Amino acid sequence: MKKNILLVEDEKALCLLYEEELTREGYAVTAVTNAEAALAELGKTAFDLIVTDIRMPGKNGIELITQIMGLRKDIPIIINSAYQSYKEDFMTWAADAYVVKSASLDELKSKIKQLIGD
Amino acid sequence: MIEKYNFLGSDFERDAPREMVLLSIISQSFFQPFSLEDNLLVILTALTSGSGVGFNRAMLFLKQGDRLKGEMWLGPRSAEEAGFIWEVLSTPGIGYIEIIEHNRALVSKNEDTLSSRLKGLVFAVDEETALIPAYAACRKEILLVREAASEPLVDKRFLDVIQVDEFLCIPLLARDEVLGEIVLDNAITRTPITPADIKLAGLCGLIAGNYIYSTTLHRKLLNMEKMAAMGEMAMFVTHQLRNPIVAVGGFTDQLLKPDVPEDKRRRNLTIIRDEVRRLEDIIYQMGHFLKVSLKEPAYFDPGPVLAGVFDSPEVQTKSQGYTLNVKLEPCLPLILCDPISFGEVVRNLLDNAFDATPTGGAVTVRGYRKNRSGFVLSVRDTGRGISNPDKDQLFRPFFTTKEKGMGLGLPFTKRVMDTCGGKVDVQSRVGKGSLFKLIFICRERE
Repeated sequence: MKKNILLVEDEKALCLLYEEELTREGYAVTAVTNAEAALAELGKTAFDLIVTDIRMPGKNGIELITQIMGLRKDIPIIINSAYQSYKEDFMTWAADAYVVKSASLDELKSKIKQLIGD
Repeated sequence: MIEKYNFLGSDFERDAPREMVLLSIISQSFFQPFSLEDNLLVILTALTSGSGVGFNRAMLFLKQGDRLKGEMWLGPRSAEEAGFIWEVLSTPGIGYIEIIEHNRALVSKNEDTLSSRLKGLVFAVDEETALIPAYAACRKEILLVREAASEPLVDKRFLDVIQVDEFLCIPLLARDEVLGEIVLDNAITRTPITPADIKLAGLCGLIAGNYIYSTTLHRKLLNMEKMAAMGEMAMFVTHQLRNPIVAVGGFTDQLLKPDVPEDKRRRNLTIIRDEVRRLEDIIYQMGHFLKVSLKEPAYFDPGPVLAGVFDSPEVQTKSQGYTLNVKLEPCLPLILCDPISFGEVVRNLLDNAFDATPTGGAVTVRGYRKNRSGFVLSVRDTGRGISNPDKDQLFRPFFTTKEKGMGLGLPFTKRVMDTCGGKVDVQSRVGKGSLFKLIFICRERE
């Protein structure tokens, strides 16, 4: 069975890129562009992993994580942000991994593999 | 009953006490957006003009580190020149503005002016070794020097330059700190310096000291704000640049894989092109905001610049689907700003107004005199309005509510308005719209 990944990324081009690349890796990817849509999807599907950006219009990724922790503590979360500095925000420590966005998706892919396997 | 008065009243009568005339000249000039150098020139002018204290010559030193450095020296070089200059300056109808302009030309000339003789002079402000003039700055005391040639405390190099027997040293103080010194004399008329002259010159020294102090503080503050903005900028740039770079890199990697279908190849290339354009746009805007210094403001007619903005293709395209009302007073006054920055600021406000307003809404530009010396250019929209928490952040660099905005438009506006001595005023109600007012210093056309 394919593992389900919820992808939250407000940049449309990046959202498409991650969705395609993770699908190619063999995952079932649900991509959304904001936190509200992510919460709605969480009610519908039993996801195995969440990949989220931090800076987004509306609710940001940290607020999203806080809310997800209240709903389902067991889902692993990867923060995928353009900002290095959010690593210093202790709220991001709640996530299972922190990846700084890069043109190479290798780090993101390997963190996903570590957390939920292929 | 209420009577209203302007701070900038009409010039004092000729028979007004000279203290009043002097204070009036100096405080009026501080009210103008003159540069530090210009305002110091005003003080020297006030000290030497006939309607002020009336010294023949005034010399200004500014303190840099622990040294007094000669900055400007105002006055005639000889009795003949004095006769000529004083004749020009006492022509009826010549006000202090004209005198300042005349003096500005005088100190900025390249030839052998008094100022050029002073420029190379530097004296250490050192308690142990200082001689006059630095001695007065060290002691923080006003010194009247007579028979200078035989006074051992007078620096010989200084005596060679000033070449006069009697002169007055006024240290410029603020909060117990020495910021410079003014040296005054009557080298041409040989009139003795009176206790009344000393009192008045001392007063000027205090005003000048405090003026230099507050200007320096203001510069430091602006610098700190700039540094803080740079820090935020560094963080913001990372994000703004990284996203398009990741997209370009990621989609290029996909293209490099074998057997990419034609439609995907086209799609990826389109995305890459769009993201590169975005990068270009980001770099342009950053460069624009980072322009180290804006041009010096000058008086100009805003009419043609405004017409250029309204007719520009950007505004024409953006205003499609909206009602754009322009209500400008006939015969606009001259306003004080850099014309190019002015155009950019107005275009920016229009841009924001259209972005905030749903299609079909109205944007209204008005231009009117607020009073004799103030001109208002306002841009009103019927858009979504700005919430109170957002209002506090409007002028912070990189704050934006737009999806693709950089948050640099309004900080730039504020910088431009600060530079020209103007003001930005914002009124807004959520759901009703916003009103941005730019308030400029203005003057009538000649």
